[in-house]
Amino acid sequence: MLSVTNLQAGYGQLQVLWDVSLDVAQGEFVALIGPNGAGKTTTLRAIAGLIPGRGGQVTFLGQLTTGRPPYLISRTGLIFITEELNLFEAMTVRDNLLLGAYSSTDSKKNRLNLEQVFELFPILEARQKQLAGTLSGGERRMLAIGRGMMAEPRLLMVDEPSLGLAPKVVIDVFNALKALHGLGVTLLLVEQNVNHTLQIADKAYVMEQGRIVLQGSSDELLKNKYLSETYLGRR
Amino acid sequence: MDPNTAANLLLTGLLRGGLYALMAVGLALVFGVMNICHFAHGEYYVLGAYAAYFAFVTYGLDPISSIIIASLLSFVAGVITDRLLFAPLRKRSKGDWVINAFLLTAGLSVVLQNVYRQVFGMRYRGITSYWDASVQILGLTVSADRVIAFGIALLAIAAMWIFLQKTRTGRAIRGVSQDEQGALLVGINLSSIHTLTFGLGSMLAGLGGASLLSLSPAYPYGGTKPLIASWFVVTIAGLGNVQGAVIAGFIVGLFESVSYFFLGQGWQEVASLALLILLLLFKPTGLFGTQIKSVWER
Repeated sequence: MLSVTNLQAGYGQLQVLWDVSLDVAQGEFVALIGPNGAGKTTTLRAIAGLIPGRGGQVTFLGQLTTGRPPYLISRTGLIFITEELNLFEAMTVRDNLLLGAYSSTDSKKNRLNLEQVFELFPILEARQKQLAGTLSGGERRMLAIGRGMMAEPRLLMVDEPSLGLAPKVVIDVFNALKALHGLGVTLLLVEQNVNHTLQIADKAYVMEQGRIVLQGSSDELLKNKYLSETYLGRR
Repeated sequence: MDPNTAANLLLTGLLRGGLYALMAVGLALVFGVMNICHFAHGEYYVLGAYAAYFAFVTYGLDPISSIIIASLLSFVAGVITDRLLFAPLRKRSKGDWVINAFLLTAGLSVVLQNVYRQVFGMRYRGITSYWDASVQILGLTVSADRVIAFGIALLAIAAMWIFLQKTRTGRAIRGVSQDEQGALLVGINLSSIHTLTFGLGSMLAGLGGASLLSLSPAYPYGGTKPLIASWFVVTIAGLGNVQGAVIAGFIVGLFESVSYFFLGQGWQEVASLALLILLLLFKPTGLFGTQIKSVWER
């Protein structure tokens, strides 16, 4: 479904990504893990078209997306939930969700999707008239995921959903992602929380210093000696 | 002060405030969504006035059609301006957009004034009235033109409010003003929203110029006064705050009519500027300014 081959990208003079290649198949739950500054976020930003690639290719649903503007990439169903969430803070929760469905003018379908979001996140329904900027950290993540769902994503890329959240809320967010996957949404998740992530993902890529250094199914990776020593602290 | 004078001041202030609010809403929209300190706003006011003049006098159309045509023309002019000038500049500007865009509007203002001067000459083109009638309000006789212009301003502001709050495109405009990256990620084409916003801002200015043609005739440099007045209003309201601009429009209108009465023409502007300086000293964000950058929010 999504296929990235030898992607190079960076900011200004600095090249961050070197020959990144990864594949996400329909219905899969794929994780991209690695330490701070490894280039995970940059990879997602390049796939979403927010920064121009300097080489390599990204194809989504068989179409080349490299060089397309981000709003067109988003309209093909490749939805990116950033780490900073980019919510419309001074708008109500409901308006945020409705804007998530901006690309679709089918109001009946949008209403159904809104109901589905409220079913998954009842707290958003209770707070729908509140301004997004007044929500708590966990609620903001849920709103961002809900806004992504409104676009009927074929593939949802989520960047660091656990960042800065209390452990209990992290579990809520992970459960929500699992539920989303259960609804048939393909997921590409970037996380530093390696243990948690490998519990729910089907397969994972490990990034270090701008390159993919390891890949495999979650079960394989959990048994991998390098990974468990470096990231999970097991010896 | 006798009740008659008080009623007169109140009425003049409100009628004037309606126009200020209309102009300021356009200005606040352009600043809030596009981050442009727009110093050519007055030239679209003049464009509206010219268009209404030619439609009404030369082509003999009825007042309402003339005003509508003038505002549509101003909308188109705004769209063309954005496509021709601001869109290419935005592509090439990175961190220096605000100052570049400001300089562009300042230059545009000079160019447009001189184009008007070349094309239409240095004479005033005005009319005595659209509607030859007057209305009795609070025991005062007011020309129908003023009342209708006020009504048009309120109607346009209300329509703009509903558009921004209730429609998909209106939400997208607010979205762009709050978070450009978020807007891109939900599939909004920023450049078409920018073009639309500039068109709408220009339309509101043109509408103001057209509906007040009988009070202030079309003239190449006629945009300076409304420009300064509307900047005064948006600065008091807090830059980019559309809702605040409406309230501030009326505050400024009333303040001017009262200070004019007590201080006279010469000192009235001093009073206005003193008010502005005091406000900026004690509340630099303006009366309704907030930390959150937005268009028309609570």
